[in-house]
Amino acid sequence: MADLALQQVSKSFGDTAVIKGVDLEVPEGEFVVFVGPSGCGKSTMLRLITGLEDVSSGRIFIGGEDVTLEKPSKRGVAMVFQSYALFPHMTVEQNIGFGLRLAKLPKDEVSRRVREVAATLQVEDLLGRKPRQLSGGQRQRVAIGRSIIGNPKVFLFDEPLSNLDAALRVQMRLEITRLHQRLGRTMVYVTHDQTEAMTLASRIVVLNQGRIEQVGSPIELYEHPRNRFVAGFIGSPAMNFLNAELTSEGDGSELRMGSATIRTGRIRGATDGGFPATFGIRPEHIAVAGADDAHIAGKVEIVEKLGAESVVYCQTDASSEPLVVRAPPKLPLVPGDRVHLRFDLEHMHLFGPDEAASPPPAGKP
Amino acid sequence: MAEARAAAAAREFNPWPAAVFASLVMLALLFLAPTVGVLLSSIKTTRDIAFGNLWAVPNRLYLGNFAEVLFSPAVHQYFVNTLLVTVPATAASLALGVLAGYVFSKLPFRGSNLLFLALVSGMFFPPQVILIPLFRLFNSLDLIDTLWPIIFVHTALGIPICTLLMRNFFATVPNALREAAILAGANEWQVLTRVALPLSLPALAVLATLQFTWIWNDFLWPLIFTQSDEKRTIMIGIVNLKGQYSVAWGVQGALSLVASVPTLIVFLFFQRYFIKGMTMGAVKG
Repeated sequence: MADLALQQVSKSFGDTAVIKGVDLEVPEGEFVVFVGPSGCGKSTMLRLITGLEDVSSGRIFIGGEDVTLEKPSKRGVAMVFQSYALFPHMTVEQNIGFGLRLAKLPKDEVSRRVREVAATLQVEDLLGRKPRQLSGGQRQRVAIGRSIIGNPKVFLFDEPLSNLDAALRVQMRLEITRLHQRLGRTMVYVTHDQTEAMTLASRIVVLNQGRIEQVGSPIELYEHPRNRFVAGFIGSPAMNFLNAELTSEGDGSELRMGSATIRTGRIRGATDGGFPATFGIRPEHIAVAGADDAHIAGKVEIVEKLGAESVVYCQTDASSEPLVVRAPPKLPLVPGDRVHLRFDLEHMHLFGPDEAASPPPAGKP
Repeated sequence: MAEARAAAAAREFNPWPAAVFASLVMLALLFLAPTVGVLLSSIKTTRDIAFGNLWAVPNRLYLGNFAEVLFSPAVHQYFVNTLLVTVPATAASLALGVLAGYVFSKLPFRGSNLLFLALVSGMFFPPQVILIPLFRLFNSLDLIDTLWPIIFVHTALGIPICTLLMRNFFATVPNALREAAILAGANEWQVLTRVALPLSLPALAVLATLQFTWIWNDFLWPLIFTQSDEKRTIMIGIVNLKGQYSVAWGVQGALSLVASVPTLIVFLFFQRYFIKGMTMGAVKG
């Protein structure tokens, strides 16, 4: 049974529809990440689940119960806010135990549970401090502590790492993963950072303009994006897109992009004749090759040396945008060099004029 | 050489800071003068004052005026009356301002901005406009020569400034704090009392001080609504303390100083919050 289920959930602010009929089922214990660009409605989705916003239509189920009209505190959810939302006038101990004190639990029980949670999150030494005396990472831990103490069914995280520096973000990411493994609870996490989404999620929900574009495991989304939006959003550096002219005849298809021509098996579903299409290929599926077996030639514009690899930006006649290539770190490329590039056609993606992904060419997986 | 340096120094002399400094000193003296005058007259005998040398420092310290004031049953009654008006009116206007400010800032509803503007516009009514209608109203309720009208009027007149200041202060309390408290199981009253109010102590301190001082020092409303000496407040009491044939400057001076002590105590009590609160950009006009 789904621990969290959304049925045709919509939300409008005045005439502006922010969430447009979302259906989603999250099994118990799953770590789901909502990802999407700013303004796609991911934080609103979270607020609808918590009950901080009322749905305009549709229903929300948590633990099998319809909680659409239930008060936020009765839904069995807890949320970690982007700004941590710690009460500045209370100590760490008072912050973590706030909900239990409101519920009028005996003092010694509150104290015991606060200490348990503090031990789990390694903030026992900070119990007497005020939030302003804590670092960003410590505040984050306290905010998590306040959310887990009530033993909720579903944890909600609203971009909790966006205020931390890069190193701390990686550390907290690991801690949240460990927390999920230890508690085994359903977690819904909102982020605009696709790296965070890929590393944390059991399943990713890609949102765009209030609609779900695709739901799937990180690898599924990475390898089989349903449309151009998902393909472009998941993966860093992003997938390269080239405008192409697709012609199919007999059992073969041909893609023309600038001076490049690629011949493949017949694209499934492609009718005879010429059609505009978008050719997509990830940076790691382009290799520097010899002039004879290359698909396209270009000029190196920028080389970013990252140590383990180099990211090379090449200008080609196929697109005004540079083609991004992941190259071995020791490849002696400098800006201005002329390079020949070969696409790994096993991993190419093709999108029709409606931006939906076409099935792979016949005979390919 | 030395002359040249002196000439250069004279050329560089900028008169502006000196002029500003001199003006500020003049203003400070001007503002202090009445207080000094009152202080001087309070420690002189009536005879000394009658000789006309009001500003001279007395030859000996005379505390008879203070003794007269402090042991006068009438003055005791003035103090009690003023406290009976000031404390409830300050508390009531603050409480209503806090509640209204919280709603306007955190729980807006359709038309709440308009209602807020209407409420705040109450600050701009000159008392002279509402004086006669209010007198007739309280007269018809048979409340004239009681303290009730003064409490009601000060509470009502305090609501706009209290609401304005509290709304603006609550607006600076992040919404995420309210939402975090609600998710933890708090109702709006608990959000207000456990989260928003403890964070708003500077605003409360400013308001408490302003309201207390304003009501304590008020002369107009007690003059309008009370008639008998037993119902007068301290400011009317000061005026009433004149002798049959002459003004008792010494006693009046002493009572003026004694009467300003409670407001001073309130200010000192809230002082640590006061400066912080004043920088919020909203002061009582």
